[in-house]
Amino acid sequence: MNEFLNFNFSKSYPDFELRTSGSFPHGIIAIFGPSGSGKTTFLNCIAGLINPDIGEIRLNQKLLFSTNAKTNLSPDKRRIGYMFQENLLFPHLTVEQNILYGYRLTKPEERRIDPEHIVDLLEIRPLLNRNTEGLSMGEQQRIVLARALSTSPHLLLLDEPLGSLHASMKASIILHLEYIYKELQIPIIYVSHSLSEVLKISDYTMVMNQGNQLFFSATKNLLEHPELSSIISPGTIQNIFEATIIEHRAIHGITMVQIGATVLAVPYIQEPTGEATSISISASDILIALEKPQNISARNILITKIEKIDSLGSTILIHTNSDPSLKVEITSDALNEMKLSVGIEVYLIIKSNSITLMD
Amino acid sequence: MFSSPDIQAILVSLQAASLGTILGLPLAIGIAWVLVRSSFKGKAILDILVSFPLVLPPVVTGYIMLIVLGRQGPIGSLLYQTLGINVVFTWVAAGLACCIVSLPLMVRALEVAISGVDHKMELAARSLGAGPIKTFTSITLPLAYRGIISAVLIAFARGLGEFGATMIVAGNIPGKTQTLPLAIFTNLQTGDEANAIRLVAFSLVLASISLITHHILLKRRGFRSQ
Repeated sequence: MNEFLNFNFSKSYPDFELRTSGSFPHGIIAIFGPSGSGKTTFLNCIAGLINPDIGEIRLNQKLLFSTNAKTNLSPDKRRIGYMFQENLLFPHLTVEQNILYGYRLTKPEERRIDPEHIVDLLEIRPLLNRNTEGLSMGEQQRIVLARALSTSPHLLLLDEPLGSLHASMKASIILHLEYIYKELQIPIIYVSHSLSEVLKISDYTMVMNQGNQLFFSATKNLLEHPELSSIISPGTIQNIFEATIIEHRAIHGITMVQIGATVLAVPYIQEPTGEATSISISASDILIALEKPQNISARNILITKIEKIDSLGSTILIHTNSDPSLKVEITSDALNEMKLSVGIEVYLIIKSNSITLMD
Repeated sequence: MFSSPDIQAILVSLQAASLGTILGLPLAIGIAWVLVRSSFKGKAILDILVSFPLVLPPVVTGYIMLIVLGRQGPIGSLLYQTLGINVVFTWVAAGLACCIVSLPLMVRALEVAISGVDHKMELAARSLGAGPIKTFTSITLPLAYRGIISAVLIAFARGLGEFGATMIVAGNIPGKTQTLPLAIFTNLQTGDEANAIRLVAFSLVLASISLITHHILLKRRGFRSQ
């Protein structure tokens, strides 16, 4: 298998121990787990900012760290791009100098990525001559990303990159990350405590809890793992989509948007029709009915079939076969009483006000 | 307005304070960096040693320097035998005295400045391929800019005022090692109060220039050292 990272190490602290081993296939890998589960410590060990007590780390078969072989490449020699939780732009340099900081330190024969290309890709050319003050969070993040990519890294680490971002920025960075992976073929390890983000972005997921690696799975099968229920809290799963605005009904206070084959009424937005917008619906905000509801205030009623039912402990996650597929969170009590099963026809009820527009 | 010995004293003071600052700055930066960013056994000892000139009477500092730098002393004899240089009772000795007495002030100012630089900025630079020295010169030092300016001006001002240690290790030789404070002292001793007051006034001017320069330099650069 085409694996880029092999690791097997542990690191102890007085109140915490990280133990992990495995190998990551090429792709976008999410590290998912609650706060304090050791996600950032894991990244820091890979990047060389923290030394494991014992173990080994290999990147593309090259030994980065090994207690047996007494090898420990310093962070500047590992060729790993790292985006910290904070944006950490160098305040004494301009945006352009920030981006070229690492590029200039990269040996010419190792430069595979042209900063000019990255600057266009991430749409930061107009900012190049500015200093770092007064930039929006999203701009800062794109600059930090461009700075890391300009070193032609062999691996990109992102520590909760969307944590501090406004929702629309999130959607834009997510698209950028997917594009970066496809275009530049740099594997990405992405730390997140948001399950919706993980489901949206990653190909594979390593789930961590309290310093232990619970399991590693292809993200599309992630929700089938029963261990997941111990670390996710109800109400946290979101459906996130790119939607196109098709019609405004301003006097009714709604806008119609299209996602795949589905048309939804959402709260009115002042964007021209034809524009794209990102929307988010909490899985626990969608109701399920077995008969078509009559005389109901909710503006969106969709008819669909149940495709898959995942049990996450006391909560149940239902996947529909609508286009696009929606995730609906219900209690196991509701599941039993309604006798829901795969293949049956159900009505989904979504209040337009429970749809969040990410602008 | 100033007599030739006065001008000599002013020049010696400026020379000695400049030499002391130039020699002391790299040393102080190195010590401050070690104190802030590294951990080793004996760090506490270094910390205490650095503070010594601050708590010792300058005369005692001067006397120790005289012993060490004198022709019989460990460093002084080495310099004399290898290079034929005699340091004591020259303006260079006055410069060294300035360096030693202002070192703790510089180190403290730089410690504050360096510890004020977000360590994660340095880690970000490391992950971008900068080695420890490159990180220090391209990130830490520019971000500690304000602290460095402060350290330099404090050291220079302290050097201009240096009296006790200088008198012992460099002497009070008019036109050669007599600095501004020594000249004021000598004038007062010999009853030439008018001349002393002129030199006092000049000291005030020099001190004001230092403070104003400090203010202007810190205001000019727009960025915060975080």
